[in-house]
Amino acid sequence: MSRIRAASGKLVIFLVQCAIALSFLYPLYFMAINSLKSRPGYYTNPFALPRAPLQFVNFGAMVSQFKILLLFRNTFIICAATLALLILLGVVASYAFAKLRFRWSQAVYLAIVITLFIPAQVTMIPMYVLFARAGLVDTYWGVVLAYLAQFIPEVVMLMTAYFRSIPNEIIEASEIDGCGYWQVIRHVIVPTGRAAVFLTIIFYFIVMWNDLFIPMVLLRKMDMRTVMVALAGLIARYTGDPPYQFAGLLLSAIPALLVYVVFQQYIIKGLTAGAIK
Amino acid sequence: MHPRRGPRHGTAPCSLRTPLTRRQLRQRQAILSVLPVIVVLLAIRAYPIVTAAAKSLTNWNGLFTSDFVGLANYVRLLKGAVFWKLVRNNFVLLLNVPIQVFLGLVVAVLLHERVWGWRFFRSLYYIPQIISAVIIGYLFRTLFSMDGPVNIVAARLGLMPVPLEWLGDTATALGVIVFCLVWSSLGWMAIVFMGGLSAIPDSVFEAARIDGAGFWRRTFQVAVPMLARVLEYAVMLSIVWTFTGLFPFIFSLTRGGPGYETTTLDYMIYIKSFVSGVNLGEACAIAVLLLVIILALTVVEMKATNAVEDWSE
Repeated sequence: MSRIRAASGKLVIFLVQCAIALSFLYPLYFMAINSLKSRPGYYTNPFALPRAPLQFVNFGAMVSQFKILLLFRNTFIICAATLALLILLGVVASYAFAKLRFRWSQAVYLAIVITLFIPAQVTMIPMYVLFARAGLVDTYWGVVLAYLAQFIPEVVMLMTAYFRSIPNEIIEASEIDGCGYWQVIRHVIVPTGRAAVFLTIIFYFIVMWNDLFIPMVLLRKMDMRTVMVALAGLIARYTGDPPYQFAGLLLSAIPALLVYVVFQQYIIKGLTAGAIK
Repeated sequence: MHPRRGPRHGTAPCSLRTPLTRRQLRQRQAILSVLPVIVVLLAIRAYPIVTAAAKSLTNWNGLFTSDFVGLANYVRLLKGAVFWKLVRNNFVLLLNVPIQVFLGLVVAVLLHERVWGWRFFRSLYYIPQIISAVIIGYLFRTLFSMDGPVNIVAARLGLMPVPLEWLGDTATALGVIVFCLVWSSLGWMAIVFMGGLSAIPDSVFEAARIDGAGFWRRTFQVAVPMLARVLEYAVMLSIVWTFTGLFPFIFSLTRGGPGYETTTLDYMIYIKSFVSGVNLGEACAIAVLLLVIILALTVVEMKATNAVEDWSE
């Protein structure tokens, strides 16, 4: 009897989960079906499946007119440069905080972490003026530096936590074997703490891919914009053509979604451990 | 522990030439290691904060005008109606936090039962966090537009005689934004809570079940008290996020309109400085006030959780 009750309880939970899942999937499904319709087709019945002829022309226009591939390239350049710097600076600083105790290390660590609470909007105006004077507005470097400053505290927190769990004995043994500073980092710290490095790459790629505020303010030139900046402009301009816009939204969501689908185990593990937000 | 050794590696004369002890070498390495991060943060975070605070006392226009005006910007802001509207909007939007916590707990406990397919469901609920807020905002704007799906369904069900302009009215527009925020971060909340739940021994839930505690009692009377730390972490992050992370949502959903009815403090900084950028001094004043509010909320929240913990002990 209790077995039947337990089984029926599980069934109820499963069905509730299906209902929640549906509420998460339906908006995406809605976007997908309507991206293949014509404008009148959408306004006649937004709920129906698209009829032949499917309007792949919406996606074609995204590539030929909206130049979405160029936007992808811009975003990739910014992501790659930022990630390289985040990892270089992050690994080196976190190694020092985790393993090379130095004077004031606690205070310095705390000062770095506190900047986490400062939102980008608060510093944006003076930063913009500073970058304008330094000739960094409308350059990828400007965005990369802004991202670096925004994310480095979190990366240091994440990596320091991981590096602390590396046993001191391994580092000492490698030093006895003749490893210098960089060799310890290359042969011990990065390989043993690779989960943190990997998580940084995956997570901040997704964050930067989706970000709007920083690149929107710092990049004004049309052909330098990132995907989300260009999409924000597209949304603002053509309010009356949802299928065309849905096609752009779907295409631009694909890279981040792909990364998530492939590496979701790492992301969920990091989230559960409270390592990332 | 092995006995401390001198720098054995490298060339032997090196250790003779440099009288650095191993400890000093470490110190120097450590300082050089953290230096780049400190320089970046000083230049791109600390310097702008200080500048913003200083410029909030001037009538700065970004160019050459920058006369000291004392607290005039703050006085004008605090006396004007618009600022308080922004504060109201921020606090109304904070409603997303309790709703998210409640639903997040329910979903986390459901997932924790680990019925068939729970890994799939868990991955699925996190998808809105992977999609840009720009996309989600536009999607919700379309769903709730005058001729959009929500109005069509409501009309077919006979719920509304006239289509509702969801984003044209203060209450419904803020409601749609809250709904959108909950939808997009519910999965995050649930996964964080699941992490907390998995630290609780199964025997606790088993015992509660044997004692006849139903689903809701297991969730709110057994799980919640044991999740205090995780709850604190999630609530604090969500509150700070509500004050700082809504820019892309507001931009793609309502652009702060109608009027300033859905404009938040952080969005106003953008409007004042990059849309109608004439008085950057005032924008800086809003930035400083926003920072003060965030810090104050963080302190209050920490005090509150400590109080709850003391009380529950």
